[in-house]
Amino acid sequence: MITYQFTSMIIGVSLAAAILWLVRRDHLHGPYAIWWIGAAVTVAGLGFFPRLFDHIAGKLGVSYPPVLAIVLGFALLLIKILTMDLERSRQERMIRRLTQRLAILEAQAPTAESDPPLPPPLTDPQPLDPAE
Amino acid sequence: MIIAARPLILIPAHNEQATIGHIVGQVRQLWNLPVVVIDDSSTDATARLARAAGATVLPLTLQLGAWGAIQTGLRYALRHGYRAAVTLDADGQHDPADIGALLQPLATGQAEVVIGAFPERASRARHIAWSYFRGLTGLHLEDITSGFRAYNHTAMTVLASREASLLDYQDVGVLLILRRRGLRIVEAPVAMQPRAAGASRVFRSWWVVGKYMLQTSLLCLARIGYNALPLTTDD
Repeated sequence: MITYQFTSMIIGVSLAAAILWLVRRDHLHGPYAIWWIGAAVTVAGLGFFPRLFDHIAGKLGVSYPPVLAIVLGFALLLIKILTMDLERSRQERMIRRLTQRLAILEAQAPTAESDPPLPPPLTDPQPLDPAE
Repeated sequence: MIIAARPLILIPAHNEQATIGHIVGQVRQLWNLPVVVIDDSSTDATARLARAAGATVLPLTLQLGAWGAIQTGLRYALRHGYRAAVTLDADGQHDPADIGALLQPLATGQAEVVIGAFPERASRARHIAWSYFRGLTGLHLEDITSGFRAYNHTAMTVLASREASLLDYQDVGVLLILRRRGLRIVEAPVAMQPRAAGASRVFRSWWVVGKYMLQTSLLCLARIGYNALPLTTDD
């Protein structure tokens, strides 16, 4: 018979291990890695001490402790998703300005395939002075 | 860097091969002004035809939409020392002959921004949309969505900023930024041709209109009480 303690430990440790593996393999950029290492430590800690929430819930006057865990987890997820969209908007602005800059530079230094024809001269070119 | 007193003509174009060559040629012939076509990732011959007609082409690698293309042109104009810019649509609905009427209020210092307006061309639905946005924003303008506009150097600097980079259309959002900076916007009545080819980018289908109305309404509501900002003189 597997105990409740054992199940939560397995879940917490494997989640934390997966996150740490991804951070170690450089799949997560700096600031995101910090958030996720925090998440890994939390799930591992709660996996080892699943009774922790019962104590906290008791202190906070929550009669059914799992609800506290769910509400807190949900709130943190919402915050995380909000910051993701903030970051996406920042990146969208950057990509747009980068694309614009690229178009401006490309017009200044045309490549062979998009080389514009030279405009015809307004007046006849001055004949070279034979004395020079 | 070229220092030019003349305005730069900016034409955003996405797959407008049917009309672009004619428009560029007309502007060149009538006004002999430099023309920049911002090619918004066209898949047809737009860029080639614009170049052949005598325009400088700014090729966008990613499709940015009408406003993203115009902002590219404004940034290009500022980098090259132009003091004014005129934007017109590539589909032939704006008559290049009216460019002079648009530049007049800029030249006399009457306004920083001039909108070429022709309210009579608009459908009933468009009129309803306009009065809705007028009510929401308190802007006293007839033709809010017209893409036929002239900007002076101050307006160009404001609109080339990062603040304006997340806008999607050259209409209400742009006008709100201009008003917030205390710039004066006037309308000049112009003749507007029936669209020669292609369809309006904004008023295309009910789905697109719905999305546009919702997004623009949100933009207006988010800007309520966000108006008074002293005009910066960092140009």
